[in-house]
Amino acid sequence: MGMKIAAKPRAPLVPVGRKRCDDPRIDYKDIAYLAKFMTPQAQLQSRRRTSFCAQCQRQLKQSVKRARFMGLLPFVG
Amino acid sequence: MNQYEGMFLLDNQVVRADYKAAKALVTDMLKKHGAEITCARRWDERRLAYPIQGRLRATYLLTYFKVPGSAIVGIRRDAELDERILRNLLISVEEVPAKELELGLAEGDDYAPPPPPADDAIDREEPLVGALVPEDGESPELEGVAEDVPASLNDIEEV
Repeated sequence: MGMKIAAKPRAPLVPVGRKRCDDPRIDYKDIAYLAKFMTPQAQLQSRRRTSFCAQCQRQLKQSVKRARFMGLLPFVG
Repeated sequence: MNQYEGMFLLDNQVVRADYKAAKALVTDMLKKHGAEITCARRWDERRLAYPIQGRLRATYLLTYFKVPGSAIVGIRRDAELDERILRNLLISVEEVPAKELELGLAEGDDYAPPPPPADDAIDREEPLVGALVPEDGESPELEGVAEDVPASLNDIEEV
């Protein structure tokens, strides 16, 4: 008889909607900081994981795109 | 007159030949369009995340300048036509960051950067692309939220 393993439902890592606005560190030159919000495949993480507000997430997106254009971050990891 | 930040990616062969000439290449081009250059400095020399025009490494030149908005189109066109400038990125900014202004003015006329390494040289520290690595070992955003997630298979209840 094989035992069934039921995992508990996974809780979200970060609650959506938490405010962390006006983050002055979001800059396309600070790639070590930007890389924290990217997957190992160099994709941008969702707001659910970054916990940024909408404005900061948009800034993050813009900064990552600028960094990719300048050859600082890869398009595909 | 608006304040702009301009990042220019320069071919390392030009920088190896003469850094001052490479810097003048950008600053003269900006002045031609009537820009008042606040500061210009070598930001970094690094390995590119992907090859650009066959180059694996390149030098970044960071500039801050004031120019009428109508001149931006001409600056961008000139930068794109010049083969020695691999990439250019012009962004309007409210003001020059104090730290950048200090670093930019510190780079005087007699500044000589270290010669760039070979094109296939690998940096010691590769850019970190990973998921949410907390600083100083803890992240306040992640605290206490994921307590219910089992750490390993041993914690999973058997039915």
